Amino acid sequence: MRPFLAACQLQLRLSARIPDDLMVLATVPLYTVMFLWMVKYAGRLDLLGYALLAPVLIALWAMALFVSGEIVERDRAAQVLESLLVTPTAFPLVVFARITTVTVCGLGAFLEVLVVSRLVFGVTLSIRHPGVFFLTLAATTLAMAGTALIMSAIFVLQRGARIFQNSLSYPFYVLGGVLVPTAYLPSWLRPITQVVFLSWASDLLRDSLLSRPVGAVPFRVGMILGLGVGSLVLGWLLLNRLVTRARGLGTVAMA
Amino acid sequence: MKGISNTLRTLRYAALVGIQDFRAAYTWRTWLSGWLVRVLAQVVFFAFVGSLLRSHERTYYLLIGNTTMLASISALLVISWTTWERRAGTLSLLIAAPTSALPVLLGRSVQWVVDGALISSIAFYGVGLLFRLPMRWPNVLLVAPLLVVVAATTYMFGAFLAALVLQRIGVRNLAFNITYLAMMSICGVNVPVTFLPGWLQTLANLLPLTHGLNAIRALLSGSPVAAVVGSLGMEVGVGLGWLTLAILVFGVTLEKTRMDGSLEFAD
Repeated sequence: MRPFLAACQLQLRLSARIPDDLMVLATVPLYTVMFLWMVKYAGRLDLLGYALLAPVLIALWAMALFVSGEIVERDRAAQVLESLLVTPTAFPLVVFARITTVTVCGLGAFLEVLVVSRLVFGVTLSIRHPGVFFLTLAATTLAMAGTALIMSAIFVLQRGARIFQNSLSYPFYVLGGVLVPTAYLPSWLRPITQVVFLSWASDLLRDSLLSRPVGAVPFRVGMILGLGVGSLVLGWLLLNRLVTRARGLGTVAMA
Repeated sequence: MKGISNTLRTLRYAALVGIQDFRAAYTWRTWLSGWLVRVLAQVVFFAFVGSLLRSHERTYYLLIGNTTMLASISALLVISWTTWERRAGTLSLLIAAPTSALPVLLGRSVQWVVDGALISSIAFYGVGLLFRLPMRWPNVLLVAPLLVVVAATTYMFGAFLAALVLQRIGVRNLAFNITYLAMMSICGVNVPVTFLPGWLQTLANLLPLTHGLNAIRALLSGSPVAAVVGSLGMEVGVGLGWLTLAILVFGVTLEKTRMDGSLEFAD
């Protein structure tokens, strides 16, 4: 547990000094205002919850993609990867702890949305099923961290993959039903959305805002957790492979 | 006359450097499967909001707004790409050279105007067909040239921001993201400018994209030619205004750093 906490502390200090790490949080108010204007202009105040949740999910995904995904690559560039790999602590554990820290910081977007919507529009997020909402948010955070672990490994293992880093934003906002539920997508796309944990998370979060009972909560939370844990395991294995390969070939600096 | 010829030659070489930078970042394969897919998904994301609102009219409005926005997003990359000259360590050499560094800084990201016009045109005609956007013939053919204008005017605005960011290159990505999201919010992309508070309408009218988008919407709705030309003229005027400011700010920055040698020590 100590290495985990130390890695969390390290990441907090690093992120506080790198403006780009917190850039995503600077964009949250703009997304919030833009989405709220869209639903207000359309006269669809029943969709306020959609407009308020979307910036949070976008922020969490963007943090995973652009901050967490960069962690190993940044360590390599700063030439501290070698030192990290010779420590007795499991490398994936350190990376996972740092990613979890970034993801939890990303939850600051939720507070931002609440403040901006209140101050600018005088509206607030009404959560009718707080238990379901916060349980889903916790499961989403874990799944996001697991997904980010895969990204951090792939961006180092496959240098060519980094060019696609920026490309993993909007396609996943569509497939994850971040603003528009996946039920509105063409039927041929829907099977793909089922393996994107964001689609389960966004649907369940939206349902938890409504007064009607939320159905199949254990199954839906289970799907988010299942996909999240699956990502975590895959990311862990990929990072281990990266370490083994780099150690074996003596190419850590060029990993 | 020789001065103009030299400036044009420098601009040409700067543009060639920009193209080489672009080719180093993207191949055709990665541009198509990475960048293009991402920007098309952005348009689709917003077009589906129209489906959520159960309104064809809103879908078309969002579709036109967000395809045009793509031209601006690409062009705004001038903010971060101009700083490459400093990050590569070549800016000091340019400042020391007898030729002005201004044409280099203004011309080295021009590839993003081409990219912006191209991706927004592909998105307009491609995603437009997908969502059955009514395409008034032959007006629809003029959308692509108008997208070139929007990309160019936004580039001029972006060059002004690049001049400001040149001494604070750590905030280049932040400046790019905040600017494009702000423009997306207030320039009539997702909601009409008239829906916004008065002070934001004033600001929106001073920014590129707003009038260009008006021209495109007017063109597609079959408005009189005068309305299209009027908006287009406003767009070009706004762009040239920002270009003038960009030249002034670049000039002041370059002169200051030439005098005190401070650029390499800036943030």
